[in-house]
Amino acid sequence: MYDTSKLLLQRLVRRIPTQMLKATLDKWGRLTVEQRQAMDFTQSKWALTQKLLSVCEVHALSVIMNDNPNQGMWYTFQLLEPENDAQSVELTQFKQQFKCHLSELLRQMSVKIKKHTDEAVWIRIALGSSFSKPNHLKPTYVVHYLQTPYVFVRNLTSKLKPLLSQALTLATRHQGVKEANLSGRNLTSIRDLLMRQYQQVFPTKYHSPPEEEDQPVLNQHIEKEQGGVAAHRRHMAHQAFGDGMLPQLQSAVYMLDTKFRDPNNRTMTEREETFKCVVKFSSINLLESLRSCASSGIASAPVTPLLSSIPLKGRNYFVVTDNTPGPSSQGHQTQN
Amino acid sequence: MDPLSESGMRTPHNGAVVQRRSKTRSYRQSYRSCLGTASRLGVTPALTARRLNASRRAAKPQNLADKVNPEHLALLVKAEWQLSYVTPLYQFRHTQLRSYSRQLAAFIVAEKQQGLAVEVSELHNSYRVSLSVVQGLTESEDDAETVLIQIHSKPMFARQDEPQRSVWSGWLTCVHGSPEYLRSLPKDFTCLPLFGSRGPEYLSRVVKSWFQKTFDCCFGSLEINHTSLQWFAALWTDCHSQSHIQHLRMLWTIPAAPPLQITYTVDPQDAWDLWNSVRKEATAAVTEDAASIDLEEVTGFLQALKSHFYRHFRLDLSAGTLQQVSTALGSAKSSGRIKMSNSRHVIATLTLLTECALLRMPI
Repeated sequence: MYDTSKLLLQRLVRRIPTQMLKATLDKWGRLTVEQRQAMDFTQSKWALTQKLLSVCEVHALSVIMNDNPNQGMWYTFQLLEPENDAQSVELTQFKQQFKCHLSELLRQMSVKIKKHTDEAVWIRIALGSSFSKPNHLKPTYVVHYLQTPYVFVRNLTSKLKPLLSQALTLATRHQGVKEANLSGRNLTSIRDLLMRQYQQVFPTKYHSPPEEEDQPVLNQHIEKEQGGVAAHRRHMAHQAFGDGMLPQLQSAVYMLDTKFRDPNNRTMTEREETFKCVVKFSSINLLESLRSCASSGIASAPVTPLLSSIPLKGRNYFVVTDNTPGPSSQGHQTQN
Repeated sequence: MDPLSESGMRTPHNGAVVQRRSKTRSYRQSYRSCLGTASRLGVTPALTARRLNASRRAAKPQNLADKVNPEHLALLVKAEWQLSYVTPLYQFRHTQLRSYSRQLAAFIVAEKQQGLAVEVSELHNSYRVSLSVVQGLTESEDDAETVLIQIHSKPMFARQDEPQRSVWSGWLTCVHGSPEYLRSLPKDFTCLPLFGSRGPEYLSRVVKSWFQKTFDCCFGSLEINHTSLQWFAALWTDCHSQSHIQHLRMLWTIPAAPPLQITYTVDPQDAWDLWNSVRKEATAAVTEDAASIDLEEVTGFLQALKSHFYRHFRLDLSAGTLQQVSTALGSAKSSGRIKMSNSRHVIATLTLLTECALLRMPI
């Protein structure tokens, strides 16, 4: 047991980039102050690992839960049809029910549940098979906010998926769970997007001039002609996407399956079949990019419902068909 | 190009005595000739017009397997190449390739010893260079034969019996180059305007500087411009009936803050139907020559794709730049990288690229 833990720690340390190693060990919080100071971070990683092993007899490895919160993709699920007592589920009951249901279904498995200060319940599941011990190097993380229907999952295997769904629905007293079509690298961002925890702008009849923008007026004539139009565009952009700092989304995918309509091209317009294409928008902060496109005029105002659905509906995967007018978020997802 | 060679700015390799005019006069002459004055050089009007062909023949897929050495073909097809243009080579002889190989190998070793061609992670001891002719790629008589350059080496601490691996490859080619231009060159010049390379950057630099020293030519990076990328999209889509393209993927970057990247992937059958409909509409009025594709049809095709996008997202793709076009037949990036994945369409791709290179050359 000790040897495998040692090996595991070695592999874990090797995976963490050297720059982040110090920060991670501090976050880990298992080393005392003296031990941390004794670690010489200018040494090579191998030397560091040996030192670490000697310093802490590795016992509990339920540890580096948040080691790299921004690596890997988080996928969102939504719980459906709450039962009458769903609202009253609290932590101990959830923990007990979840562990109980999951261990009924799986033998070799390690489950650790922990509640963080921001009301999020973090679950770490490491799966093994009938021949091997749980694989702690590739755990599945599940984050759930009690009393909300949202669940965020990272690194879910196809083997675990149905079992996890079942355990979750039972433990939270719901009837089902479905994919919510929202994915991203940054957990706090997708959570903020879904729960609308960012600065929103509500439609007003009379636009007030934006106070925070103090753009230098370059040319009086241009400002006179274009000032009003530009301000209107900015307002529409902020209304569609929000004010201030926006949650970080990396991409949005649209599966388009609509008919090709072009008055200049009769052949294609008369065609029976739809024009199938896939459009993927990507950026380091997608919502910021889209908002800046809208305010600079690259995207025409008012912003099309297809794009404004991203913050509005809190999703970034859409299947667009002709059946519903505008941006349909119908079209059940076929694949994710 | 006579004024240039007479000006004495170049010393030919055979050491023949060259008529030297006075320095200032020769400088003026060569300067003007670099600007491409047609009267001085007798360069064809087609090149001084400095535009890509407005129409070209539709690509016929060609089975190169029996014309080209299959090993060479496999090499061309499997990798992504970085492109450059090359000005005409002076006194390059296809018959002296072995001597060139030895010279280049010696040059590489010399550069390494001087510390100019050093790559920290790789320690190579000896280099073996092979230059070979790739026959069968060119069809017209004016085109010079393609030359393939390969550098083999093995790491410093390898065992004796370990074979040398190819660490760098490159090729020089001219496929369907403009005949008027090629014929206007003086006798001693060989025109191989397109250079593709793959491998470590320091070796590419060494090879280029050897060529520049030996054949008095100039290399420059060849970016694939927007029009050429559009041509690739149209030509490859046109091939769908003969070779399944699997998808037509285009990558645009939009100047937002932060920059936005849009990947637009179209189903191949739908792209094919759209392409045909655009061809029909465009050539409705004019007598149709089925084999030739006009620039208007190409821009019409792209415009139709952009307007379909606009109808959904109300975002005009023209505000951004087209960076990459790819299908199963290959991929072309605006930074000057090309991949030709299907051997049957290599000639069509190289024809378009040769044209880009010829236009991009300063002389």
